[in-house]
Amino acid sequence: CFSCQHPARDATSAISSSWQLRPVPGLQVPLRLPSDRRPPVRRFACPASIAAASAAASPAVPPGPPLAPAGIARVYKPRLSPEAMKEFWRLSGIGPDHSRAKAADQQAEVPPEIKRLYQEALPPIVSQDYRDPIVESLHRAEMMRRRRVINIPEFHVGSILAVSVMDKHAPNKVNRFVGLCILRRHTGLFTTFTLRNMVDQVCVQIEYELYSPSIVSIQLLKLERRLDDNLLYLMDAPHSHCTIPFDMVPEPYSRNDPVPVNRERVRLNPPPWMCKWHLHGYQGIDLEHLYSYLSDKDVAKAIEFSKAYKRYDLLDQYLNRVPVPDADYAFKDIFIQHQELLQHQQQQQ
Amino acid sequence: VSAASAPALSSQLIVAMATAPHTWLRLVPSCRSYSKATRLHKIDYPWKDEPKPHWVRQFEARRVDADLTPENRDWLRQWRLQRVRDAVASSSEAAAAASPLKEPPAARPLWTPRVSQRCGLVGIKLGILPMWYRNGQKVHTTVVQIPDQRVLRWVPPEDLGNYASLREMRPYRLNQSLLPRWLTQQRWGLQLVGAVPADPANFTAQWCGIFKAAGLPPMRKISRFLVSPDAALQPGACLGLHHFRVGDCVDVVARTVNRGFQGVMERHLMEGGPAAHGSTKFHRKMGSAAGGGGPIYRGKRMPGVMGNRFRAARSLPVLRVNTKHRLLFIKGFTPGPPHSYCQIMDSWMLDVRRSLDANPPPMPTYFAEDAPEGGYPEDVYHPDLLPYDQPLELPD
Repeated sequence: CFSCQHPARDATSAISSSWQLRPVPGLQVPLRLPSDRRPPVRRFACPASIAAASAAASPAVPPGPPLAPAGIARVYKPRLSPEAMKEFWRLSGIGPDHSRAKAADQQAEVPPEIKRLYQEALPPIVSQDYRDPIVESLHRAEMMRRRRVINIPEFHVGSILAVSVMDKHAPNKVNRFVGLCILRRHTGLFTTFTLRNMVDQVCVQIEYELYSPSIVSIQLLKLERRLDDNLLYLMDAPHSHCTIPFDMVPEPYSRNDPVPVNRERVRLNPPPWMCKWHLHGYQGIDLEHLYSYLSDKDVAKAIEFSKAYKRYDLLDQYLNRVPVPDADYAFKDIFIQHQELLQHQQQQQ
Repeated sequence: VSAASAPALSSQLIVAMATAPHTWLRLVPSCRSYSKATRLHKIDYPWKDEPKPHWVRQFEARRVDADLTPENRDWLRQWRLQRVRDAVASSSEAAAAASPLKEPPAARPLWTPRVSQRCGLVGIKLGILPMWYRNGQKVHTTVVQIPDQRVLRWVPPEDLGNYASLREMRPYRLNQSLLPRWLTQQRWGLQLVGAVPADPANFTAQWCGIFKAAGLPPMRKISRFLVSPDAALQPGACLGLHHFRVGDCVDVVARTVNRGFQGVMERHLMEGGPAAHGSTKFHRKMGSAAGGGGPIYRGKRMPGVMGNRFRAARSLPVLRVNTKHRLLFIKGFTPGPPHSYCQIMDSWMLDVRRSLDANPPPMPTYFAEDAPEGGYPEDVYHPDLLPYDQPLELPD
């Protein structure tokens, strides 16, 4: 080493020796080359001397906050991961309340009428990042509190309802509307349902928030189910399908019986339509009659769509369903609160 | 950092700003000579919104101790968590009130109009719950959970210039040509608050050392609040749910949802091009970047990462308080996705400050002696809010 005279390592000596001239027999060569043709002298220093040199060059400065942070490529995640949230709830004791679900575990299975009555108690089908157990339990608790004030019957898309809402401009301060339920969407306290009817030969669709306090009463006139999740195609159907008299007498039903299914197939009006009804897999439309309006290409497309390939699309099923453990947990939670609600109603009577 | 050891750069800077800003700003041309785009305060450098202290590595990869059996590893983890629980419990308000060594309470500062600014709380945004007013109007409330938090440090206003992380002047040179007023006027100091105590094995020794000085267990989040000296809190002080009352208006500062790399139509609401009529490869583009072949000015709106910036939702009233899960129900929507941190503080809006002068909040924070007789019920509602188990009664 040129600075501390440490003996050079074998590798360095091997390299330096390659620069030396080898005698060629029979060739007259001078003993030394001119200095400008000499190869540059390689100076090898040991790590100790390098460290000492750098320390001597730069004085020790107390490191302040650097201009750029050490891990500039780090991704800053201002969110708590699910594991961190669980640890935080376990440490502080302010996590979701599992006592009701534990109480329901000891009982017999949750009766099926709970799943029919409380369809909106299921958690929303969104990515896990946007779901929180405390907020979902708050939704369920507030739903049951509202049901102590008003009776919300079991209904499905295809049922006929009469809804009375508060209206300060109405003569009796109450506005009553009767209609066929064509749509029911969202979950928890955001649940809405849409009723459709004909009023003076005008189609009227009204969307109500199920847990709005301005709803005075929800009366079920006919309990029925259809073949589809929504009946939006009735907008392009003859008006006779959604004409319901306002003075309709409620039909009796029993909670223990299965919900009757209305398997009628609706014949749509000729196109143009509001939507391409043949591409959504509706079972409640008369398909032969529908295809008679379409070109061969559209019919092929509709038939291609209706093929049951989605049954084999596992990711589609996973993303568009509520996980079974979460659904069970929600119904168990609701079941205990349902029993408390029944007790409360008995006490009131 | 004492004034003697640190160079007096910042104080000179502050004085220079106050007296002759044009002499110092020669490096940065005046904003008025450029177009509107350069006045945007969205020019950022990589560490602009990094959480401070970004010079301390927070997380450490968990050491894999091959000598430990899984049972012992779990036992040790439970032991560590119990230590954290005990540390949190011992530094809580209840412990201080029950301690036989408790000192008589010091005189609490009074709320001074137009002067007092209290510390804030760190919250975790959980989700949204709809509620209704007593007049039938719907209101969406953001549910925010208030975790365990303790005060870490107080930096008085006169030490702000010497505070290490505030001496980085580049952000101000790049964006605004002036230093912020809270730095130059020195009315407010910096209050550091730590939140969400966690297992020390998650963190580096350096990060745990920040809390050791205050005698606290290590926490996941350190936040800063600008606080007036009369509302200053000393290290170890406890901040709780009832720091805010039902009806108080708050500002919520949080990091917005990260929407990823977005084009100009999504990010800057540009028009793009026609979808049809012979448009050749010009549907969602920016178009021209400058005029007359000139250079592209700093701050030109272009595609890039959208969101993931700190924004404030101002003057949101607290409509409901739940003591069981330690929740605040704040009217409206706050930035950020669920399970993200947010800073909640008394609103800076003038009308809110005036209403606080009339009805001062607990100063400097809520203590056990402020509790009403019989304690708080599980849910405290705003008088205008209709609980779900009450029927709506509209006036005729």
